[in-house]
Amino acid sequence: MDQAWILPAIPAAIFIVVALIGRYLPRQGDFLVILGGLTLVAIVFSMFPGFQAAFHEGHFAPGTTNVYSFDWVNIGQGFFIIPFSTYVDGITMVMLPVVTIVALMVMIYSVSYMHGEPRYFWYYAVLSLFVAAMLTLVIAGNLIQLYLAWEGVGLASFLLIGFYWERQSAAEAAKKAFITTRIGDVGLLIGIIMLWRSTGSFDIQTIIAAAKAGAFDHTYLTVAMIFLFCGAIGKSAQFPLHVWLPDAMEGPTPVSALIHAATMVVAGVYLVARFSPVYAEVLIARDVILYIGLITAVMAASMGLVASDIKRVLAYSTVSQLGFMFVALGTGAVTAAMFHLLTHAFFKALLFLGSGSVIHATHQQEVEHLGGLRKKMPWTTATFVIGSPALAGVPIFAGFWSKDEILAATLEDAPIWAYVMLAGTAILTAIYSTRVVLLTFFGEPKDHHAYDHAHESPWLILGPLVLLATLATVAGFLALDQVGQSLGFVGGIGQIVFLEHAHEFTHPEWLLASIATLGALAGIGTGIAFWHGDARRAVAAREWAPDLHALLVNRYYMDKLYQGIIDRVILGFAGVVAWFDKRIVNETGVDGGAQTIGYLGYRLKFLQTGRIPNYALGMAVGLVAIIVIAFGSQG
Amino acid sequence: MIPLSNFLVLSALLFAIGFYGVLARRSAILILISVELMLAAVAINFIAFATYRDPKAFTGLVFALFVITVAAAEVGLALGIVLRLFRERRSANVDEASSLKW
Repeated sequence: MDQAWILPAIPAAIFIVVALIGRYLPRQGDFLVILGGLTLVAIVFSMFPGFQAAFHEGHFAPGTTNVYSFDWVNIGQGFFIIPFSTYVDGITMVMLPVVTIVALMVMIYSVSYMHGEPRYFWYYAVLSLFVAAMLTLVIAGNLIQLYLAWEGVGLASFLLIGFYWERQSAAEAAKKAFITTRIGDVGLLIGIIMLWRSTGSFDIQTIIAAAKAGAFDHTYLTVAMIFLFCGAIGKSAQFPLHVWLPDAMEGPTPVSALIHAATMVVAGVYLVARFSPVYAEVLIARDVILYIGLITAVMAASMGLVASDIKRVLAYSTVSQLGFMFVALGTGAVTAAMFHLLTHAFFKALLFLGSGSVIHATHQQEVEHLGGLRKKMPWTTATFVIGSPALAGVPIFAGFWSKDEILAATLEDAPIWAYVMLAGTAILTAIYSTRVVLLTFFGEPKDHHAYDHAHESPWLILGPLVLLATLATVAGFLALDQVGQSLGFVGGIGQIVFLEHAHEFTHPEWLLASIATLGALAGIGTGIAFWHGDARRAVAAREWAPDLHALLVNRYYMDKLYQGIIDRVILGFAGVVAWFDKRIVNETGVDGGAQTIGYLGYRLKFLQTGRIPNYALGMAVGLVAIIVIAFGSQG
Repeated sequence: MIPLSNFLVLSALLFAIGFYGVLARRSAILILISVELMLAAVAINFIAFATYRDPKAFTGLVFALFVITVAAAEVGLALGIVLRLFRERRSANVDEASSLKW
């Protein structure tokens, strides 16, 4: 545990190597990155025994410190310290396997998927950079380190979304992603500064302890924690900063799987989970989180219902599921949120990589051009058909367990209408995921050119799919204490990640579980009814409410709203500043200064007559002046 | 003894005349002669002061010697320049030598 810093150090070193000389390495260095990924998974798994032992000894209750640090910046004798510190606890131990396993799957998958693409080595280099930054983020012990890593993953995301920068839409999407998350990051920075001003420290555990001891003014702390959440809103694509994630699908599909499904977008969830003891003190902030999560979940699910690009549907789904996680955090159910993070990472990555397999085979992303692929791509269909109910929350599969926990927490600690909305969203989730599966793999092919071209993908692509499908099936059982104990832990996930008390979990609550299952099955049934075959009912529904359809397709017109604000407000302000710079600074100041001196010179040059008697007179006048001044002042 | 002020007035007058000459003469040679006049006036001033303060010491006389030496060197140089100028233009008129102007 003390050497946790080695985890980000490895991919960081690999990034530098591959970025600089990857072009000249055999196979452009992809094996190096994969080797790094394997090493990371190995290290993480080797951490588990030590972790389990520590837990049995009671070391990982919240509030215990487990930090390795040295001071990086120290100004004013301890007034301003930026340390380098790591902190590993139950939350971290959930994130680490998620990040490393999904990263490894993506790295292996990309060998085949990105084969022959230009700048292949750069793709792998930035992938490595991303893993380094993400790992730094999850083991960060202090807020400055976290913020640096936060920006680091944002950078990697920008570089990878804009990987095909020759395409204007990709470059725009990368810019949009970075700028939108940057807006959230300003809030995060303000929150960090506010917390530092009160406690004098950036150390996370110090701040948590101070908050629990009541060292903060209540309003001040509420505001600070809301600002902190702003960063999460940006990075985790919550309303109103969710607009970048659908566009981020311009990047290569493995990137979407890794960054925009499993890891970077959950950084916000991780941040809030980390600070959950503090959020427990400021319930207003927690309510904000809950309602924003709820709004996001519903909005995104509704937009996913009508999207025509597979990846876009999955993107909306991600936003919606992140909303679920934040709802859980909003009720204080850290365990449920982190558990859903884990399961979601697996099945969402599976779904994205599966869609990538389809795209790779048919060179199509739009659902209008797909259909009937199950005959041509059996393995892909099978894994996708496993991921889909996992998303929908069908029992046995991972999503059921984690979603059920969230719904239970919502029922307990949130207003009843919130539970109803969330359950409704779960049903919507089942509907849209069924829709995607039916339109892509079942029914008749709509574009025969694409269909004829389709073939099953090579094993480098299918392998990760199968592995993720397995995880999506079994990971849910980690909730059970029996399973956890048989693996050597104290119990199921409720005993590892918790806020105040460990949860015991030996069986799901049957009533709640049944309701959730019925909802999921109802959703699937609706999906089949509407989109089965030639999707007559769906087309009829679209015609029955064209305005609603338009609203959803246009993303509630939020993009237009934001573009309008940018065009009018921001560019308008920029125009004013540009005018100021051009007229006042440049013409008056710079040019004017030069012109004034030029004019003076033009006038004064006539003193240079070239006539010696004039110069002699000048000298005489000067001499007289000196004498007068020198002897006059003595006077 | 003749009062000191007499010598000082003499030297002042000589200096003033020389000064006027430098400013108001057209011929380069005459300007040089005026400069010599100013130097002579300065020398008289030194000697007068020296003699009246301490007749036995000859500090002022030594200084006068220096002045003469400097004057000689300076005029040598100046005449060299004037001769060059004369050869170029066939005239020593300083008013006409004003090409280094704006």
